[in-house]
Amino acid sequence: MKPSPFIYHDPTSIEEALALLQHYSGDAKVLAGGQSLMPLLNFRLSAPTALVDINRIAALSYIQQEAGQLRIGALTRQRTLEFSALVREHLPLLYEATTLVGHLPIRTRGTIGGSLAHADPAAEYPAVATVMEAELVVQGPKSQRILRPEEFFLGYLTTALASDEVLVEVRFPIPPPTSGWAFVEFARRHGDFALVGIAALLDAEGEQCRRARLATAGVGPTPVRLRAAEQILEHEGLTEQSIEAAAVRAAELVEPQSDLHASTDFRRHLTQVLTRRALRQAKARSQERQG
Amino acid sequence: MEQFTPKLVGARVKRREDRRLLTGQGAYTDDHRPSGLLYAAFLRSPYAHARIVRLDPAAARSLAGVATVMTGEELARLVKPVRAGSNMRDYKTTSWPPLAVGKVRHVGEAVAVVVAESRYLAEDALEQIDVDYEPLPTVADAQAASEPQAALLHEEVGTNVLLTRQFAQGEVDAAIAGAEVRVRERFRFHRHAAICMENRGCLAEYHAGTGALTLRSATQCPGLLRDVLADLLDLPEHCVRVVAADVGGGFGAKSSLYPEELTLCAITRLLARPVKWISDRREDLLTSTQAWDEVVEAELALRADGTIVGLRAEVTTDIGAYSIYPWTATVEPVQTISFLPGPYRVPHYRGRTRGVATCKAPLGPYRGVGRPITTFVMEGLMDRAARRLGMDPVELRLRNYIREEEFPYKTPSGIVWDQASLTACMHKAREALDYEATRQWQRQAREEGRWVGIGFATYIELTGVGSAIPVSPGMPISTGTEAAFIRVDPSGTVTAAFSVAPQGQGHETALAQVVADALGVSFQDVRVICGDTAVAPHGTGTYASRSAVLAGGAAILAGRALREKTLQIAGHLLETNPADLDIQDGRIFVRGKLERGIPFREIARAAYGGLRRLPKDMEPGLEVTRFYDPYYGTASSATHVAVVEVDRETYEVKIHRYVVVEDCGRIINPLIVEGQVRGGVAQGIGAALYEEVVYDEEGQLLTGTLMDYLVPTAAELIPIEVHHLETPSPTTLGGFRGMGEGGTIGAPAAIANAVSDALSPLGIEITELPITPERLFRLMRGTNELS
Amino acid sequence: MSEQRQLRLVVNGEVRTGQVEPRKLLVDFLREDLGLTGTHVGCEHGICGACTILVNGEAARSCLMLAVQADGAELLTVEGLAREGRLHPLQDAFWEHHGLQCGFCTPGMLIAAYDLLQTNPTPTEEEIRAGLSAVLCRCTGYHGIVRAVQAAAECLRGGEE
Repeated sequence: MKPSPFIYHDPTSIEEALALLQHYSGDAKVLAGGQSLMPLLNFRLSAPTALVDINRIAALSYIQQEAGQLRIGALTRQRTLEFSALVREHLPLLYEATTLVGHLPIRTRGTIGGSLAHADPAAEYPAVATVMEAELVVQGPKSQRILRPEEFFLGYLTTALASDEVLVEVRFPIPPPTSGWAFVEFARRHGDFALVGIAALLDAEGEQCRRARLATAGVGPTPVRLRAAEQILEHEGLTEQSIEAAAVRAAELVEPQSDLHASTDFRRHLTQVLTRRALRQAKARSQERQG
Repeated sequence: MEQFTPKLVGARVKRREDRRLLTGQGAYTDDHRPSGLLYAAFLRSPYAHARIVRLDPAAARSLAGVATVMTGEELARLVKPVRAGSNMRDYKTTSWPPLAVGKVRHVGEAVAVVVAESRYLAEDALEQIDVDYEPLPTVADAQAASEPQAALLHEEVGTNVLLTRQFAQGEVDAAIAGAEVRVRERFRFHRHAAICMENRGCLAEYHAGTGALTLRSATQCPGLLRDVLADLLDLPEHCVRVVAADVGGGFGAKSSLYPEELTLCAITRLLARPVKWISDRREDLLTSTQAWDEVVEAELALRADGTIVGLRAEVTTDIGAYSIYPWTATVEPVQTISFLPGPYRVPHYRGRTRGVATCKAPLGPYRGVGRPITTFVMEGLMDRAARRLGMDPVELRLRNYIREEEFPYKTPSGIVWDQASLTACMHKAREALDYEATRQWQRQAREEGRWVGIGFATYIELTGVGSAIPVSPGMPISTGTEAAFIRVDPSGTVTAAFSVAPQGQGHETALAQVVADALGVSFQDVRVICGDTAVAPHGTGTYASRSAVLAGGAAILAGRALREKTLQIAGHLLETNPADLDIQDGRIFVRGKLERGIPFREIARAAYGGLRRLPKDMEPGLEVTRFYDPYYGTASSATHVAVVEVDRETYEVKIHRYVVVEDCGRIINPLIVEGQVRGGVAQGIGAALYEEVVYDEEGQLLTGTLMDYLVPTAAELIPIEVHHLETPSPTTLGGFRGMGEGGTIGAPAAIANAVSDALSPLGIEITELPITPERLFRLMRGTNELS
Repeated sequence: MSEQRQLRLVVNGEVRTGQVEPRKLLVDFLREDLGLTGTHVGCEHGICGACTILVNGEAARSCLMLAVQADGAELLTVEGLAREGRLHPLQDAFWEHHGLQCGFCTPGMLIAAYDLLQTNPTPTEEEIRAGLSAVLCRCTGYHGIVRAVQAAAECLRGGEE
């Protein structure tokens, strides 16, 4: 389990990185935190001609508060997010999800941009980006484009990134201070990819729900926004009955795959269970913050 | 002969291995890097069953940095194939070439080897080897493989059923037909992997000038390997040395001879350069011996008062593609019917077993061999019987245990239990748990709608097996003895060498405790060397819970012999009758007159000094080798109790408490014993809830990474409570009983019974391990359909 | 074959240099080029944690990093935990509480525990178990390891470094 040979570049600027990607026109891979790509290289499941290691591009690592958003550089380590006061204060959902990404030694290297660009549907960040309606800033050789999660995640391990583009920034709108959140997941072992994960974000007042947002991890080729379930809550409020109805609806909305660890039916069942748990927790947090 | 009065034995001595392991100074196989080293990588079959039509290594050979590429046919000219023979009647011996010749029989089987200047280059070269395979029908399932029309793995024996065996006593069919209560079940124990944290690996060096071959290997059995390598490579045995220095876990999976060991020895002779191969994790999951994979259909019959009258069982074991040396494919299936009655009096018994070859990695011994499944089956039947009878499961067990006065007790398969603390273990377990209070808690929790359960499992285990019984049925080599070589150095320090070879069990500490006590010197003055055939007396290795009993016994014999000679020399020097002398803490003195004595090192110097310092006619020197054979061996026993809760929504099983009460005889070092018990329980919990090797219908391994084969982490486990009874074995020197495997034997059954107890209001009983959330979900839905 | 790269880094307080192919894994560089065989290779896909070391003060998998990526970095491996022959409190505690058997996971486990205690000096048992789930141990059932980390945490809080 040793990587095949490759040509190695470690540019220090985004421009340099983009030029290299253009040069190799699809035969190069971007190496960010490496926590997904390195295993693929070691297994020789991936054998690119060249690696463009972006770890020395300091300009890609930052957390800035701006215009009601937190703007996070793509190379920002998951560990940095975990210990960031800004993230904890303004994006508690991102914080909670971060603590569920692998293990601390994985988060030391793993980056937010790398996780999103890898687009593993069972990962936490794609679900968080989806539920928070984040903006994904993609830089190409000539221009920049800003994609919504629905536009960015196209399929299993597949994104809208062209071979000469790099994800450079993720912009998370800061939710209202009284909103409630939860990221709940069910994994076989601590730190494993979840069989099913549910991200919930509620903008509520008492049992009134102004906006409900729900997204999944692990139950389809991409994260799934559970809009029909959200609507139940927005119309009927956050009662036990409506939460249950939303959970039942959630399970109907997903088309999970069957694999070694869980069948389609069981994942559907877990979607219902975890949606219920996530909504209860998000509701409780919202109420707590409302005082 | 003087009494063996332990002093260090029984003490919680901190391990002497630990300093080097804690500071990164261990010496595992991969840590050795002799000059001129070459690295091997194996090309492995992507097919489960296929004919090798063409194999062209030319392109790989021509790559820069590649020293050689060898095919199966080329290697076959240098080594004999492995043939694991057995004198068991209905056993068919098959061959296992170290690199496939003609065809492959499981995914991952080695078909060629590359030796290059680095592992990176060797893996590059693997991609340049051109192989054409012609796929053959996959034999993926033991039941289907045993049908007459099934494709054959080993054509030369005409069947995939490589062994059948039966043990019987009494009139079981009549006894069961006439019984008042019968419980019957089909139990499924899936395939399991040992997952040593250190992958297998070896380093072979041949010295052309002397003809000496040295193999460093991550093995449990250096002595055993030396014997067989000399034979298969046709080398004089005195030219072969096998060394297992620090080894990172074994659990049985490092106890067999492997193709890579043989291949590297042959290649280093050819190249006269050292060659190393370290398995990567993918290779480990594909090729290390796996465990269990059995279906047991069993029926237990009892009288209305709960007394067992009969038991019968049919066992089918999927033994994988090859019969491993030296244990053969009999090791798991035959142990299963041998040990099925367990700790109970079963007057009428019949167990039938068969081992069926399939396109999977070979089955081998794994911690507990046979007994994890027999305990799961027997204890599962006992709980079912208790429910049927409306009896408390503890009471039913107490009624049927072999009673204290019945020892020594001969089982239907001919095993003799010397003594075991079955009833006492259960009583203590009940007390440690506070059984009544726990049942009360369970009643309350059930009223709240929670699914909580309590599960018991008692086992009896044959350990420290001597020459009367082969460790594996019918195997051609004896594993009934071990030896100790002890030398008192002229300065008075002691060097003790053994052929047992630990992989974490702390022999260097435990055996030093035994030697120090037997000889009368301090712990600090004893150094133990294990796992080097150049230093050790003849023996085989560490497996089958034997080291404390066999090596410990040999240490006592050798220590006593040296003690006796020491006293004679001291008597000469002190002009005293040796019978009046005693040794303690490295000093010999006249009993009752502590001031009249002589330091041990003076005796040591005298022993090598000559010149009238020794009694007339005494042979100089102070070193000895002693062999020990415990003949039958001894029994260890334990009761495990698990308290679990099943999540009503996610079907996750949480363990609330885990209690072990065990009797492994006289304890050498409680720290080590408790570590072994807890580690064993962790592996058993893994088997019960998480771990399963899965092959698909094409024989492809689906659990080929540690993301898919789930070894429990610290977060899945809880503190394991361990209590000891310490009844010295009546039959072994020192009173030791083996205990390395036990934890793994009890845990699957205890967990399964606890989950069945938790779900008993729903009428669900566990028949299949591991109990995954997916399986429970399907049981709840009353369907086995996987969408 | 691809070009060799020069690198210079600090390992256990000492400046070390080397020349490697870019594809060489950091753990192989440590073991083969620097002779620091205390860090172990267990799975090469980031699950077992045996290769865990500190990179610029933070625990990371050295099987999921290229050696060239450590150019200019400061590393701490198990060999650097003891100072002037005195064991680190974690090492002492692992010894005292039988936190190791075969010792193969131990270097990674010690480093993961080190990082756990520097980010959370007063962990609960649950937090310790969650933190240590980053490293697999097959021998101990984690019992002694958890006890050792509890004891080391107490010792480190007492300022006995």
